[in-house]
Amino acid sequence: MINFEEELKKFHPSLEVEDAADAIYNQDMTDMADILVKMLKETEAEE
Amino acid sequence: MNCYNCGCRLSEHDFCTSCGADVSKYKAIMRISNLYYNEGLEKAQIRDLSGAVTSLRQSLKFNKNNIEARNLLGLVYFEMGEVVAALSEWVISKNLRPQKNIADDYIEMVQSNATRLDTINQTIKKYNQALAYCMQDSKDLARIQLKKVLSLNPKFVRAHQLLALLYIDSEQWDKAKRELDKCCKIDVNNTQTLRYLKEVEKMLMPDENGKTTAKNRNEDAYRYQSDNEIIIQPLNVHEPKGNAISTIFNVIIGLVLGIAVMYFLIVPSAVAEERTKSQIKEREMGESIDEKNGIIANLQTENKNLEADNRKLREDLEAYVGSDGTLKTVDELFAAAVEYITNKDALATAAHLENVESGVNLEETSEAFRLLYETLVEKVGAEAGASYYTSGSDAYESGDYDKAIEDLNKAVRYDPENGDIYYTLGHAYRRAEQKTEAIAAYTKVLELQPDTERARKAQNYIDELSAN
Repeated sequence: MINFEEELKKFHPSLEVEDAADAIYNQDMTDMADILVKMLKETEAEE
Repeated sequence: MNCYNCGCRLSEHDFCTSCGADVSKYKAIMRISNLYYNEGLEKAQIRDLSGAVTSLRQSLKFNKNNIEARNLLGLVYFEMGEVVAALSEWVISKNLRPQKNIADDYIEMVQSNATRLDTINQTIKKYNQALAYCMQDSKDLARIQLKKVLSLNPKFVRAHQLLALLYIDSEQWDKAKRELDKCCKIDVNNTQTLRYLKEVEKMLMPDENGKTTAKNRNEDAYRYQSDNEIIIQPLNVHEPKGNAISTIFNVIIGLVLGIAVMYFLIVPSAVAEERTKSQIKEREMGESIDEKNGIIANLQTENKNLEADNRKLREDLEAYVGSDGTLKTVDELFAAAVEYITNKDALATAAHLENVESGVNLEETSEAFRLLYETLVEKVGAEAGASYYTSGSDAYESGDYDKAIEDLNKAVRYDPENGDIYYTLGHAYRRAEQKTEAIAAYTKVLELQPDTERARKAQNYIDELSAN
């Protein structure tokens, strides 16, 4: 049985156009490739 | 694919031919990213948009520089009505690869039309407002707002889902199903949509025993949708059973109640209404009669005035018109002219002219009339004046002062500069004991014959008459 209150919590306000720039700047852009490169460079430094 | 260390293009080897760095793991990560991108693309092609979003986000977690994956993610977001999220992905894509990037076209498409951008923003604001209404438990307002949102952006999946949730909450299962069906047409495999849909279908379908589900059981009707029609089929409704006698009895009771209602409610109100109407009509007729009486009184007064005017005019006309219908004054003038031309009788002509003068105001006559009159007066004036002076003097001598006064006044009219006539006229007035007229005649003598013996005598008479 669907609980309205619980389901409502899953909905979040949508980003407005004015807020798009902040959303882009605040986005975490770190990917697996960045992490790998960082790890490899750290390993090289230790050697 | 370029080396992460030196940026040179990588070959099929697991190391960089330029800097010698080990790129085997790096290449594996790139492959995983591409794998997720392909998966996302396949899902997008069958409109599993939420699945595509998941795969493409995974792809970007492995390789943020996967431009195709990012552009496709933006496109999928746009299709789901998440315009700002789509724009964000395209802007990042554009920053990562400024040249030869299809994201350029996408951004241009959205931003080139200011009205469209404004509509998008309004849609988002209304959706957020609807969500706020939901939080405040103003569900009706939220529903209205969401309908506006969907009229502006019919592909906004989250708005459809929220509206469906509101319908589910108010147990409007058919409407909820309609919204969820729309969601499914946009995004076929959205888990949230499917979960709601399952719940709704469970409520709409009858259970195994042919009875309605828990929700519908409380209602007396079974509702389902057929095309665009909502069919409401009453349940547990039985035709009342009874015998013929009770039916007839019920009909009789109904008739009696109907007659009673008519007698006590309808008839009095109808009678009162008719009475009011007749009173209004009576009042209107009374007002109409008063008005007409007023008009009649006015007309009677006007008639009296007109009759008086008519009488006066007739009298005036009779004064002017002779027995044969012609104007008396014209007759008199013609008679004067005939008398003068035929007999040259100055006195007879003068007598006719005197009648003309007494019968009409010469100023009001025609020019020809006046000219003829004046010509005749000029012709006979001197002779007539002399004749009247002679006859007036004779009458005075014989003691007939009234005749003397009459003839001398006529003589004065034709010869007004003759002081002798005034002197004799003064005597006649004095003898007839008309002092005022006598003084006036003597005064005229003083004016016409000053410094003469006659003037001195006239002065003596004036003094004498004034003293008495």
